[in-house]
Formats: sequence, structure tokens, C-alpha cells
Amino acid sequence: MGKSATICSDRLRVRKNRVSSVSIMSAALIASLFLSMLCSFFYNMWVYDVEAVVLEEGDWQARIAGTVSEEELNLIRSFGNVERAVVNEEAAEQKTAVIDLYFHNPRTIYQDMTLMSEKIGLESERITFNYQLLSMYFIRIPGDDKPRMILPLFATIMMIAGFSLILVIHNSFAVTMNAKIHQLGILSSVGATPRQIRISLIQEAAAMCVLPIIGGSLVGIGIGYGLLMMMNVLAAQTIGRHDVTFQYHPLIFVLTVFASMLTVLISAWIPARKLAKMTPLEAIRGAEEMQLRKRKHSPILYRLFGIEGELAGNALKAQKKALRTSTISLTLAFLGFAVMVSFFELSNISTEYTYFARYKDVWDVMTTVKDVRIEDVESIAALQEAAREEGASSSVIYQKATAVAQIPTEKISEEVRGIGGIERLTDGLTIQEKGYLVQASIVILDDEGFLEYCEQLGIIPRLDGVVILNRIWDSVNSNFRYPEYIPYVKEDYDSTVLYGGEQQGDESNIAITVLAYTDKEPVLREEYDDYALVHVMPLSLWKDISARIGQSISVEPDVNVRILMDREDNASMINQDTELLPQINRIEEIIAQILGQKYDIETENRIQEKLTNDRMLWGYQLIGGVFCSLLALIGIANVFSYTMGFMRVRRRECARYLSVGMTPDGLKKMFRIEMLVIAGRPIMITLPITVAVLSLMIKASYLNPAEFWSRAPYAPIAIYMAAIFGFVAIAYAIGGRKILHDNLVEALRNEAMM
Amino acid sequence: MEILKCDNIRKVYGSGDNQVKALDGINLSVEKGEFVAIVGASGSGKSTLLHILGGVDAPTEGKVMVEDTDISTMNRTQAAIFRRRKVGLVYQFYNLIPTLTIRKNILMPLLLDKKKVNQEYFMQVVTSLGIEGKLDFLPNQLSGGQQQRAAIARSLLYRPALLLADEPTGNLDRRNGEEIVDLLKLSNRNLNQTIILITHDEKVALEADRIITIEDGHIIADRRRGE
Repeated sequence: MGKSATICSDRLRVRKNRVSSVSIMSAALIASLFLSMLCSFFYNMWVYDVEAVVLEEGDWQARIAGTVSEEELNLIRSFGNVERAVVNEEAAEQKTAVIDLYFHNPRTIYQDMTLMSEKIGLESERITFNYQLLSMYFIRIPGDDKPRMILPLFATIMMIAGFSLILVIHNSFAVTMNAKIHQLGILSSVGATPRQIRISLIQEAAAMCVLPIIGGSLVGIGIGYGLLMMMNVLAAQTIGRHDVTFQYHPLIFVLTVFASMLTVLISAWIPARKLAKMTPLEAIRGAEEMQLRKRKHSPILYRLFGIEGELAGNALKAQKKALRTSTISLTLAFLGFAVMVSFFELSNISTEYTYFARYKDVWDVMTTVKDVRIEDVESIAALQEAAREEGASSSVIYQKATAVAQIPTEKISEEVRGIGGIERLTDGLTIQEKGYLVQASIVILDDEGFLEYCEQLGIIPRLDGVVILNRIWDSVNSNFRYPEYIPYVKEDYDSTVLYGGEQQGDESNIAITVLAYTDKEPVLREEYDDYALVHVMPLSLWKDISARIGQSISVEPDVNVRILMDREDNASMINQDTELLPQINRIEEIIAQILGQKYDIETENRIQEKLTNDRMLWGYQLIGGVFCSLLALIGIANVFSYTMGFMRVRRRECARYLSVGMTPDGLKKMFRIEMLVIAGRPIMITLPITVAVLSLMIKASYLNPAEFWSRAPYAPIAIYMAAIFGFVAIAYAIGGRKILHDNLVEALRNEAMM
Repeated sequence: MEILKCDNIRKVYGSGDNQVKALDGINLSVEKGEFVAIVGASGSGKSTLLHILGGVDAPTEGKVMVEDTDISTMNRTQAAIFRRRKVGLVYQFYNLIPTLTIRKNILMPLLLDKKKVNQEYFMQVVTSLGIEGKLDFLPNQLSGGQQQRAAIARSLLYRPALLLADEPTGNLDRRNGEEIVDLLKLSNRNLNQTIILITHDEKVALEADRIITIEDGHIIADRRRGE
């Protein structure tokens, strides 16, 4: 900007309007706060990724493996760009030396290492680079032109954020600048050029925004810090994750201030350019007035609220452009929020069916003992005893296997025949002349567990036979979410034949006594194939079978240990879960002591998993909620910015209404209708879409719609709606107050002055 | 029959050294059916007087009686209802609502009162003003003369006690200006409408039955036609 422009700006500077200055300063503060938060958040995410790479791979940049003589090491260290060459004792394997290299300028690392290998005579296979770390600093192998998404992603998000902020805050600048339109017209009439007017307006706006930008940037850093700490708390239980430590670099502050200043200047430039283009006469006459290009009606509002309704509707149509940002952002925010909270509730119900609630009386601790057969697991009794002492009501060790069962045609149950036969339910079976070969899932329980199962079924506990889970999913009359089961086979046969493979007459088959048929599955965290005939057997029987046909039966690789805690009947599940957590943790330790030393084990804790899952869901909702709230904030800010401009745009309009006899109450009624429309429109648009989206989701998840709608998150949606209405009402109360307290005569006189 | 009586009206703007006396002791009486023109230089106080008579502004002192009702003590709501029912205001810049059609602009005072429209009278007024074909247009789609006719139609529709016109021809060309004055005269004669018109166009003022001259907030002359 030239000196003449600066001088001119000082001359042109007019008395500041306090309210609109506050509006500009708030807009600049919000913009810089938001951008600063984004910058500090992304910077820390980058730092976190660098730390993760360093923790996993180390902080070395290049590495030489193999024996390196002292002379060669000195030669390496003498390279100008080499900062350090360190012998890494920890990484050295089988007495082979490993030298970690660090460079002053890692950007030339690939060229330097080529030169080094040539000078020392190192084979290229001895040199490795920490590609992951180097790529975090955007250092690429020569010839690598694959796109890296981090910087473009950051730049895109910053641009979207900046663009959205410009859309919102340029209105605030327009309000302030339009307040001076008359003076600008006079200055224009006495010879100020459009460029001088434009520059002076932008300079003034920029000067007003310096402090808010610095303040907003600092607050943004604080919010960024808070967000990261919150992430630490929410993801505390995530395995393999390290805590984020907040860091900040002065260059990030410079970038933030630059981005904020650019956003503010563009926001000021938009109205300044428009004003500078006005002819002196237009400017002296004053601000533009709202007009409709075409005749419009607001029949619904007219019918509901009378002429005030029609006036409100038409005023909103005439101001459509000014309110576009709020309409879009409020609609998207509300849609996003309503769908998000509903989706999480849906997911919650679904999880209850499939996981936590379904298994709440099934297991508290599950340990997977890897790559072992159940007959080879030692210390089962000791483990069960120790668990009992810690308060476990039941502990079962089991393994699953898959064999084939032969079912003669006449053995198929009447119920299955009634719905069209087994062929109608599944095509995964082999049809033979006299029957079927179907998949037989074998569940091998430790003997104590099997006897307990027998007791649960009310049969005499024995270890010389199997219990058949006699049920098959009736997929004709029910869906997977609410499955209905019917008996698979007739229950008047006291033995079953299992095959290792599918060939009848194979040597590898065995007839086993059936102790009972039941529709009650053993208390395990297991799901069985829909059309498999499940055979539950004790370990001692399995040992016998295994010795005879075990080679041809497919046994799952892992053994499972399922422990369920003893719960008092009268206490609530939540309280019990919290109280039981220390005991469960102790059982985990015992399992680690007894089994962990001999086997490769992995232990899950249902209560801890639920707590982690709840926390994660809460975290997702919080992040989603913050995003939706930011969107809503943009919309609300636009409404505020619009109502702040009431005095400019609508003063004359309202004076006219009053002059033809509208009462102040009528004017208030009109504003209330406008407020209802602005806040209600996004809701009216969104609710049917939300219902449609949710109906599709419910259909896809096969949940009972009534179950979802009875638990739908009405309260948060209602609170969100009320918040939108509340903020729009406040905006209108402020804007409307100004108009209502305005001097009617003054407004009419100004018009007459024209 | 006396329809308007002003008793010692004073209107002061500002305070202390910045005090400006816009009206200073105005006494005025208007009979029903009179066509009065108020003339005066710019800043003489004639627009202030019109605003006070229309209930748009309140006097600092004094009493304004319209059809035996004191409008100087009305609150904002009472004044708005008074403007709606008892006064028709016509401005230099028409004061039409840009987002409503001409029909709804004209019907506005009735719509605010949720009163049923007398279609016969409505058509009589718009036909006599020559805007019956423009009723579904927006104000910005009409010429200045047509907009002013619509403003007059709106002011007449409630059959008000007073029709107050502030420089109604000030923004119009000569032909349209003459037509507007003729229309005002017509309504004065045919409907016995009381009209108070502010102008600084002497030719327009001469069309009135009575001419009141204001200077520095005082009435300095009050002449009837032929006097």
C-alpha cells in the first residue's frame, strides 16, 4: 500500500461504531481461534506420528549393518553432513555391528549415503534407511514421485476452514462498512478514488483485527492442548498407543497468524470492493434495501400468522442470500448431529444383541491359549481352583472342532420337514441315498465344565457321551437379528455317528452315545454355524475319539478359557461390574502366572472392554458433536451477523410497517415468525431425511423398528433443536431490540432526505 | 365540524446548547372535508407538524385532538392503531412495502386489523386511481406515479379522518404531479375526505382550500381560497 493510500485512510477513518466493531473483532477472534486450533492440532498429530515411528523404529536416519572398522567409522564421521555415527549395541544381532547415522541435513541423505558407500566400499544391501521417519519429514528417495497426502490434506482442510470463515465473517465487515456508506459517498463525491476507499476500509478492518487475531491464536493453542489431553484420556486403554505430549513451534504461530490475517483481509476485501464500486449518489443515498425480483407468496405463513407471517416470509426470501450460510450450515449440523446420535444408539442396541449384553451372563474373562490342543493343556484344575478362590462362579476350558455327522432322512425333525425340508434351509450339505451328511460342530469341554452343563440341563452328569444341541435356524420364518429355532432331528435316537471327512464308509468314523438332546447351548462366548449340528462332549471322551479318528477331524488351533464371576442377584449389573473389576484383574494375573509361562496366551476382560468401548463411543460422539457444533456455530454466527445488520438493512422497512399502523407487538410477532422459520427450516428439512436414513439403517440391521424408536435419542436431539432455537432467538432479540428502540421519525426523515 | 385541533404544540429536539425548536406554539383547527396546504421553507417545521398530526411523532408540549381524541398522550401501540385507522399517510417516496404486491400494500391497514375487505369499495378506489391493472405487481415494477397512486389508495381504503400527504408530488414529473393533485382533489370533493398536504410548490398549494405558511416553527399566515 502506498503512502498516499495510508494518508488517505487516516483522513477517511470515521468514528467507529462500537457495536459493529465488536462484531468485527469477535469474527476475527473466532476465525483465528479456529485456525489456530486446527494448526496446533495437526502439528501435534504430526509430532505424534513422528514419535510413534521413533518408538517403533528408532530415531536413526540411516543404518549400516555389518562389521565396520575403526578407520571406516572415522571416515564416516568425517563426512560434513554426518552429525553422529553411533554403534547401536541393542540392534546388533549375532555379533554383527550396527551403526546408526544421523545427518545435519537429512534432505541429502540419499546422495550422501551413495557417496559414502562408494568411498568406503560398502555394499548397498548393508545400508538401510529409516524410510518411515524420513517420509515424515517429506524426504523422498530420488525417483519416488508417489503423492504424499499429509500436506495436501492439511492445506485442503485449512482452505475449507478459511473459506467457511470468510463466508461467515465477511457479513460482519459488511455491516460495519455499510454503517459508513453515507460518509464514503460524500468522500467519493469530493474525489476519493475507489481504490483509496477500498484500501482505507481494508486497513481499518485489519488494524481492528490485530489484537483479536493474536488473542484468538493464543486461545486456539489452549483449546488444541485441551483436545489432545482429552484424546489421551479417551484412548488411554488403547493397546500399542503412546500418550500425546503437547508441543508447539513458533513457526506454527506465524502460520496461524498469517492464515488468520489472510482470512480477515479477504473477508474485509469482499464488502470493501462492493462499496468502493458504488457511485457517489448511490452511496450518499444510503444502503441498499431488500427487494424481491419476482412476486412471491408465503401462503402457509400467511394462513398461520396473517399479514405478519407473509411479511416475515417475504423478508426472508428477499434476504435469502444473506441467510444462505446459516441455512446450509444449520441444516448440515442438525442432520449430522441427529444421524450421528441415532446411529450410535442403533449401534448400541445392535452391540447389546451381539456382544456385551448378550454375553453379560456368559463370560467376564476370556483367555485364548494359542496353538495347543485341549488334551495337552496342563494345570486346568489348578486354574479352576484359583479362579474359584477369586470369586468365579464358573470356569470352563474348551476347544472347538469340526466333523461331519450322518443324518438319515427319517431322522430329520417334523418341524424341518414342515417348512420344506433341510434343503430349503441350507445348501451346504451332502445329500446321500438314505440321508444327509451335515457339518457337526464339536465343543470339547473340560470334564468339570461338561458335568456342570449336564446339571444345567437336568440330566444325570456323565462323561461317556455327547449332548446334541438340537436346533436349526428357521430362516424361512425369521431373520438373523431375531432368529427362531426349530428342532433339527428327532430325539428318539440314542447314538450319533461322526465322520472325520465326508466319505461314508470311511474308516474314520465313530458312533457315540447321545446323553441328551437340548435346545440350550452351553454357557460359552461362541456362535455356531447356522446349520451345523452341535455336539458337546467332555474332554475325557474327546481324548478317546481323538485317539481313534482325531487325525481326520479339523480342530481349531486355540483353546479357550471362559471365566464367569459370581454376582449377587439383587445388585445392579453396572455396580457389580465396577465392583468386580479388581477381582477380574486379579484373575487375569493368575491366568498369566499359570498359563502365560507355558503357552502363548491372550486375555480379554469383558468389563474392561465395555468400559473402553463406552469411552471410545463417547469419544467418537464428542468429536462428531464438536464438529456438528462448529458447523452450527457458523450458522448461528451468520444469523447474528445478519441481525446485527438489521439497523442497516431493515430500518426503513420496519419504519414503513409502523407508519401504516403496525404496532410494536406486530413487529415483534413478525421477528418471532422469522426466527421460527430460520431455526425451524433446518429441522423441517432434516427430520424427514433423518427418519428416512434411519429407516434404511434399521432395515439393513434387521432390528425391530419399534425397539429403536422406543429408545431413539429424542432428548439430545431436542436439546440440540432447543439450542438452535435459543441462539437464533437471542440473535433476533438483539437485532429486533435495536429496531424497536429506533426512532421512527428519524427513519422516515432519512428517507425523506433522499 | 372540527376534525383536528392543535393546541399550542411545541416540539424541541436535542438538549442544552444543541436544542432545536422545530415547532413553537402551533395552534390550528381543521374542519371536516377541508383541503389544507401547509407551505414553508426547508427546515421550517412543516414535516415535523405532519408527523405529529399523523401520530408518528409526539409533541414536546401541547395537545393534538383528532375527532375528539387526544393523540399526543398515546403510547406506541395506541399510536400505531390510530395511524392504521384514522390517518392515511402519503410520502414523497411512496413508502410502499417492496416485498408485497400492490394489492396487499393497499390492503395492509385492513390486513393488520384482520378486517374483511369491502371488495366493491376497494375496486372503486383502485379504479378511480387508475391502478386496477397493476394490483399483482411489486412496487419496483411500477412507475413513480403509479406507486404514488397505490400509496394514496392505501391511505384512503380505511376511510380515515385525515389524509396527510408529505410532498406527494416531489418525486414526480409535472404531468404525474398534476394528476396526483387532481386525484387528491377528487377524493376531497367526492368522499368529503379531509386532506392536509405539505408542499413547497406554490402551484400545488394553490389547489387547496386553505394555505398555512410556517416559518421557524410558527404559523405566520393562514389564508383561505379567495381571501
